[in-house]
Amino acid sequence: MILGFVLRRCALAIPSLLGLLILVFVLIHAVPSDPAAIMAGDAATPQQIETLRHEYGFDQPLWRQFITYAGKAVRLDFGESAFSHRPVALDIAQRLPATLELTFAAMLLSILIGVPLGVFAALRHDQWPDFFLRIVSVLGVAVAAFWVAIMLQLFFAMRLGWLPLRGELSVGVAAPPAVTGSVLLDSLLSLRLDAFRDAFAHLILPAVTLSLGGIASIVRFTRAGVLDTLQQDFVTYERAMGYRRQRLVWRYVLRNSVTATVTQIGLLFGGMIAGGVVVEAIYDWPGIGSYTVNAILTGDHQVMLAVTLLIGVVYAALNILTDVVHGLIDPRLVEQR
Amino acid sequence: MITRRDFAALAAATTVAATVAARTIRAEAAVNSTFVSGWGLPTNLDPHQIFDVPMQTVMLNVYDNLYRYENDPPQIVPWLAESHTVSADGLTWEFKLRPNIKFHDGSDLTAADVVYSFHRVLGLHLAPAAAFLPILKPENVTAPDKLTVRFVLSKPYAPFFAAIPIVSIVNPRVIEPHAQNGDWGKSWLASNDAGSGAYRIVPATYRPLELLDLEMFDTHFMGWEDNKSPVRKIAMRPTAETSTRVLALLNGSMDWTDTNLPPDQVEKINASKIAHVDRNTVMRTFIIRMNNTKPPFNNLNARLAFAHCFDYMGFINDILGGYATRDPLPMPDTLWGSPKDVKGYAYDTAKAKDYMAKAIAEGAPMKRPVEIHVQSENDQSVQSAQLFQSNLAEIGINAKVVGDTWSNLISNAVKPETAPDMWVHWVSTYFVDPENWVGQMYDSQFHGTWKASAYYKNAEVDALLRQARETLKQEDRAPLYEKAIRQIVADSPDIWVYNSMQLQGTNNRVQGRRFCTVGQGCEMRWISLSA
Repeated sequence: MILGFVLRRCALAIPSLLGLLILVFVLIHAVPSDPAAIMAGDAATPQQIETLRHEYGFDQPLWRQFITYAGKAVRLDFGESAFSHRPVALDIAQRLPATLELTFAAMLLSILIGVPLGVFAALRHDQWPDFFLRIVSVLGVAVAAFWVAIMLQLFFAMRLGWLPLRGELSVGVAAPPAVTGSVLLDSLLSLRLDAFRDAFAHLILPAVTLSLGGIASIVRFTRAGVLDTLQQDFVTYERAMGYRRQRLVWRYVLRNSVTATVTQIGLLFGGMIAGGVVVEAIYDWPGIGSYTVNAILTGDHQVMLAVTLLIGVVYAALNILTDVVHGLIDPRLVEQR
Repeated sequence: MITRRDFAALAAATTVAATVAARTIRAEAAVNSTFVSGWGLPTNLDPHQIFDVPMQTVMLNVYDNLYRYENDPPQIVPWLAESHTVSADGLTWEFKLRPNIKFHDGSDLTAADVVYSFHRVLGLHLAPAAAFLPILKPENVTAPDKLTVRFVLSKPYAPFFAAIPIVSIVNPRVIEPHAQNGDWGKSWLASNDAGSGAYRIVPATYRPLELLDLEMFDTHFMGWEDNKSPVRKIAMRPTAETSTRVLALLNGSMDWTDTNLPPDQVEKINASKIAHVDRNTVMRTFIIRMNNTKPPFNNLNARLAFAHCFDYMGFINDILGGYATRDPLPMPDTLWGSPKDVKGYAYDTAKAKDYMAKAIAEGAPMKRPVEIHVQSENDQSVQSAQLFQSNLAEIGINAKVVGDTWSNLISNAVKPETAPDMWVHWVSTYFVDPENWVGQMYDSQFHGTWKASAYYKNAEVDALLRQARETLKQEDRAPLYEKAIRQIVADSPDIWVYNSMQLQGTNNRVQGRRFCTVGQGCEMRWISLSA
């Protein structure tokens, strides 16, 4: 049943992605920017620019450029960066593991801290821990990531000197052989503990910064869900039956409360990938965030298109995954869909 | 489901791991033999495709050129070539190479490689070619013998010698196996090394615009006698954020920042014990470009009104902290060919109002809202426009500051109908000749390039600039440029603000740097790191 459900959702995602591709393609080409002029560089003559425009097909009608692009994209050929002249797929493959590593770490922190705090706030409803956590969770969402990042850098990297300021690995530490592309995993796989320690230390500040919004959001959703469930009759019944409070809360109440939290986690994950740009920029984290910013600043259309499509695919996949998790938590949801 | 016990165990494990890491890792101090540079990287590594300021790091360290600019003020000195001759008519140039020069792969660098390099530049037709395309055909670059390169120009072109350092000499033996469909191996060289320079690229470390390591080339033809303890490895780690850049400098994990340090960081860095700010006046002019084809900018009095309405000294002293020198001319006033008696324009709202009234009387639409386009990511660009907006409001001109990207700006600037009303940018030194500034900005034959996006046209100026370009002796050229500049200033096509002072945060352990405005002092072979 689950497999059929997943396949149906995958089929439905295809038109969404095609729509996204058309929209982004049109929007990027609507911007009054001439990639040939940018590629030709400083002091280029009009003739040089015209030659490049023809060479790269920028003088073709837009619909023809789109068909050519879409045909290649289906085969995972996203073209060549106008500037690095490297396949965009290769550049993304080189950077995506760093972004995923950071996002998974931030997500893990968000869940491990956010869910217990949300439950705790609900159990202490309208008491000072609840008030305190509500204020903190609002601040967590409201405070700008760049401010938090700079404060963390100043305190942990500059004042205490405990953690590195930026980057993914220290200059003096040799990178482990690339297997997954994630320095953390690759250093473990190659048993390079020096690189693992170094990579782990580099990960802490960016992951904490990126997780703050997630923690705040998960606390709020979990608290609301648990509060709602605590009002249910089955909870009153189980209390009356003498279930131990901890077992009741963590096994039965939480399971019936996390539907909204799981949806939120799915959205947060996508948001962290797409919105990690600021964190990546401040910490010089070599992920797709900084790659995308550079592409926008240099007007690299192929990269902008590929990254947007990638983020669209990530969101679609997360939506499907979220539905699957919902189904595992409550099989009635899959039957209804 | 995760039980409370599982959760506690996981939390404990995480805490232990974090503690171990925190205890192990202290401030990421720079490694002794490695120089960590926060300077930006070019968009790719091929010096024949990209020609901009960041590329100078690659051009001057990984590659060599026939002649090179050194010192401050810049002097063009023999490099791969030991000498050159030029025919009396200025058309035939011969360069004699030094013997026994090796590329990074160990092969000999000969005149044939120089010929290949120029053919490649002309064949690729990209930015570095612009200086040579009008006067040099590939078949006229030849190698009469192993150590002689001959250029025969189509017509006399005085800036030819000044532009020679633009071309990096590449090794065809490593490029050609990767060439496809006559593309001169441009995809391959965009990520690889074909040079003979003092440092070589470690290709495995390269991530475009983010990471690059260079290692010392022990057998560089210049030898290392003049630097007993050179930098063995250069780790290029550009930093996107100014705050991170400054913090990295202050905690010792970066040896120098880029060259656009905001003035408000100078005192903070100079007050530290670990770093200081290197200040160097560079030939890099700051310009507010006006589109002379669009009303009201097609009216001289209107342009003069705008030119008198920018608070030049307020900008330099208050916003830039005095770290710039007022330069009222369209090229650095320290360069030959600059008329010393021309004062340019000053901030004077009374005069601006007078000119505005005259412009209105002549039918110029001075009440039309005008746009000033800026590079959003560049604070100084934005601040100058905001100041100008405020100054213009004082005389009743409504200006709007429009955020933009460099890529959009230069692509829009190539047509008069899409070029903004006004836009803010710098013009750097690519070669030390008035041609780099007034020649390429105000000769109408360059319309269609962003440098000439004022779309200024004056037949007398065109004739003077073209004559200066074809006149061989500097002493004969200088009066021509002086006369052209006098006329250009009188026509006021743009607003010329200042000549830059380069501010670069530098670790105190960096020793022996030789500054030159071309390349902005990024040549690493002179540098050593003290203990």
